[in-house]
Amino acid sequence: MELSIDRDARLSVPGQTTSVSASLPLLKQTHAGGFKKVCRIEEESTCPFPGLPAGVLEMRVKEGSKIRNLMGFAMARMQDEARDASQTGLRQVVFTGSGRAVTKTITCAEIMKRKLGGLHQMTKLQYKGLREVWESQEEGDSEVTVHRTLPSISILLSKDPLDPLEPGYQPPENSLWEERSGGDSDGATGEESLSLRIMRVLKSTVSTETSETLSEPALKAEM
Amino acid sequence: MAEPRSPVSASVPHNPMVLPTPEGSTLEMDPVEYTLRKRLPRKLPKRRNDVYVNMKTDFKAQLARCQKLLDAHREICIHGLGLAINRAINIALQLQTSSQGALQLAANTSTVELIDDLEPEDPDEAGEPLTRTRNNSAIHIKVFYPKL
Repeated sequence: MELSIDRDARLSVPGQTTSVSASLPLLKQTHAGGFKKVCRIEEESTCPFPGLPAGVLEMRVKEGSKIRNLMGFAMARMQDEARDASQTGLRQVVFTGSGRAVTKTITCAEIMKRKLGGLHQMTKLQYKGLREVWESQEEGDSEVTVHRTLPSISILLSKDPLDPLEPGYQPPENSLWEERSGGDSDGATGEESLSLRIMRVLKSTVSTETSETLSEPALKAEM
Repeated sequence: MAEPRSPVSASVPHNPMVLPTPEGSTLEMDPVEYTLRKRLPRKLPKRRNDVYVNMKTDFKAQLARCQKLLDAHREICIHGLGLAINRAINIALQLQTSSQGALQLAANTSTVELIDDLEPEDPDEAGEPLTRTRNNSAIHIKVFYPKL
């Protein structure tokens, strides 16, 4: 899917600039089309959370980041305040990741929610611009700039309440698939909370076998 | 979706130390081959405007389907699990882009518990069928036209 965007976005190719690479041409013939990626510039994207205090910890999750490293650091910072009462500890953390790191970013946020509990969440999605400069290895000796867009995610976890009306808000402890002692309905957002409740009932009625047919009576039982 | 289990042709080299052996201790010498079967994830009850994104169907087809549902219902919910999270986000963002910013996105994340079955390759050999649970991340994106 990235490829299709890639193709669409490739229109923004500036005039080919001839570069000085007389000795290079035969080095990287193995590449398809004889192009070699020279550099990669991430465009500065706007912060998806306006009005966020300056001292917020931002965890930039990359494809190769190790979850234990990320979590070791972030958890220590978020749990810090318990020891040090004089200094106001960290109350918010933002996890951001793009492209193939998106899944890992969500996993980090999910782990933190599970471990700490009582965290308010705000999730934002946006495209992130990426500029890649490719250098031709053939006789043309030209440079091509490719503009790509990558889907990216930003997840804000906060110990303090966030605006529940903002799209992408998730109250604490509303894990969709997690076991809960059903019954408590905060009824905040119509359809969304309905599916949450259905899920809880499903979890309690369906034992280990996953069965599509069981969802019908379970639905009625709740309503 | 009639098939409750999707077999994966992967054999797991089993650690003999953990293997429950009913009789005889010589069994510990040869590792029993297991077949890993991944059960399908539990799903939310499907409303008309729910879309579960996967990695098998063509991207464009799924995007078109979402667009069609969106036109009919004014609001859809796109679900993606694991690797399909990326695709779910991509679909949602593409819908938003093609609507010239008229659409809003509201994303929620969750953890889904998945169950794997480990079945011994050779039923004659000692080796109990085992199950393993693991977690995977999921995303649920509500795509909607904001009410004015």
